[in-house]
Amino acid sequence: MISLLVLVILGCAALGVLRFVRGPSAADRIVALDILFSAAVGLCALAALSSGRVLFLDIAIGVVLVGFVATLAWTRLVEMRGPNHRESKP
Amino acid sequence: MTAIGFLLLGVGVMVLLLAGTGLFVLRDALSRQHAATKAGSLGTVLIVLGTAFIGGGWEWFWRALLITLLVWLTMPIASHVLARAAVREQDREKGDPHDFQKARAYDSEAKES
Repeated sequence: MISLLVLVILGCAALGVLRFVRGPSAADRIVALDILFSAAVGLCALAALSSGRVLFLDIAIGVVLVGFVATLAWTRLVEMRGPNHRESKP
Repeated sequence: MTAIGFLLLGVGVMVLLLAGTGLFVLRDALSRQHAATKAGSLGTVLIVLGTAFIGGGWEWFWRALLITLLVWLTMPIASHVLARAAVREQDREKGDPHDFQKARAYDSEAKES
């Protein structure tokens, strides 16, 4: 049962990674990062459930805070770019 | 208790999958942000609360409530900042004169008044 839920969350994370790679603008990549952090919190909760240790919920608290700071920092970086900035195409 | 927990877990995982699908169904960064942050925060909170119901102890519940509080405090701020970045990037791609210098001047004026 729990492994099925883990598979669904991993599918959601795969969608996020795909958008992260393909995203045309930087804002798309930040949105994908947000989804990835939500999936990470969900996986931490499921790890706590399957192993029976409350410790993994503490890790989830840390992941929430790191995700918030990462989103703020990257959006501020995007806003600070000059008007003539171009995305580097691979 | 366990049944409620598994129900919350299932609904939360489906909402999270819905948020992931919204990254591909919607058309630009602004609407994708709309899907990702709202559905993402709801899905995360449902999953964590379901975990607390299945774990079933006080030490599970206060951690789950702390995560809920943190997500509901930080996600609206992240969503707002993300939407602002998306709008400015769209304007910049359109060649709009609404560039960073003007926006910065506008922000500092709004802060002073």
